[in-house]
Amino acid sequence: MKTIFDVKRIIYLSFAALAACATTDPPQSELSAARAMVAQAQPVAEAAAPAELANAQVTLARAEIAMLHGQYEDARLLALRAEADARLAWTMAENARVQRALQEERSAR
Amino acid sequence: MNKPLKLTVLAAALAAGCSTVSPVANQRLEEARASYQRAAADPLVQRHAQPELQRAANALAEAGRAAKDGSSELVEHNAFIAERSARTALSTAQGRQAQLDLVAAHEERSRRLLQAERARAEQAEAERARAEQARLEAEARASLLGEEKAKHAEFAAAISGLESTGVRARQTERGWVLTVNNDLLFESGTALHSGADRTLDTLAQFLRKHPERSIAIEGFTDSMGSAAAAERLSERRAEAVKFALVQRGVESHRIDARGMGPNFPVASNDSEAGRQQNRRIEVVIRSAGAPGDKAGEGATTPEAPRRQ
Repeated sequence: MKTIFDVKRIIYLSFAALAACATTDPPQSELSAARAMVAQAQPVAEAAAPAELANAQVTLARAEIAMLHGQYEDARLLALRAEADARLAWTMAENARVQRALQEERSAR
Repeated sequence: MNKPLKLTVLAAALAAGCSTVSPVANQRLEEARASYQRAAADPLVQRHAQPELQRAANALAEAGRAAKDGSSELVEHNAFIAERSARTALSTAQGRQAQLDLVAAHEERSRRLLQAERARAEQAEAERARAEQARLEAEARASLLGEEKAKHAEFAAAISGLESTGVRARQTERGWVLTVNNDLLFESGTALHSGADRTLDTLAQFLRKHPERSIAIEGFTDSMGSAAAAERLSERRAEAVKFALVQRGVESHRIDARGMGPNFPVASNDSEAGRQQNRRIEVVIRSAGAPGDKAGEGATTPEAPRRQ
């Protein structure tokens, strides 16, 4: 009887743990978007926006680690921030590229 | 832009109404709001980066809700997203404007280059036309000069042909004057003798070749006998020469014939040799284009002094 009670408790606890897990799914899509954005920014932003690119890379790494540790909510937020940093880095690099082209065009005769 | 602004105001109101989040989170939120407002006030962002601006507005709204819920972590997170999105909006707007400027500048430069190219081509064409014109003019001048030279040479040849028949030629302001002694032309009276044929043939040939020239034939005598008779005789002799030339195909209107009698002697009438020189026919070949002098001209503007 006592054993059964214990088994019941274990089952209840397991359900509770599962329920807790279920409230936060692994943020796969957020992480994928962050990875893609960082990969897109990296080749162009190293010169034009190095600080922003570095932020994005570090934050993405932290998101990956949080993901490995099952800290899905942390991973989700970190992935979103990494993506925002990478988007900014890419935009700055693109802006710099166009501004350079504009300068060249204007100085061309 | 109204919607993001309204959301901002809402977020601000929500944040203000709640003091349960950490001071750091509140500060981040304030910074994000300021960043958003800078971006939203930029006309370039309004024109080119609405989606990016909207992303920032959404994050600010989210941060406001999180503040109401008292979640410092989510406030900070969304403030971060809003701040990055606002900066991204600014950068995007500048990049898109630069892209438009780049296209415009490129088109402008292309147009300028095309214009310059066209101007160069036009100038080259004008220069080519000028050179061609100059070449044509030079050619025309050369050909005119050649014609003039050829005419001159032909004329000189005709004159020297006449000189070989005993005619003496000299150039005066009236034109060429050919002097022929009567002995070479007339047998007796006004009858031309056969020895005159070569002189008359050569002269007629020259006149036929130069229809633009007219001539005056003037007869002269020595001072023997009555002046009136001498004048009539000299006129008849001039007429006889004119008739001979007309027979040889020269139009009669081109020839003036007149008698000068003993006037304008070229030598003294005191000796037979002088008198022989005075008995003569003079043919004036008027310069081309010179106004035809009329009868009597010889008397009013004699070619005096008539030198030998």
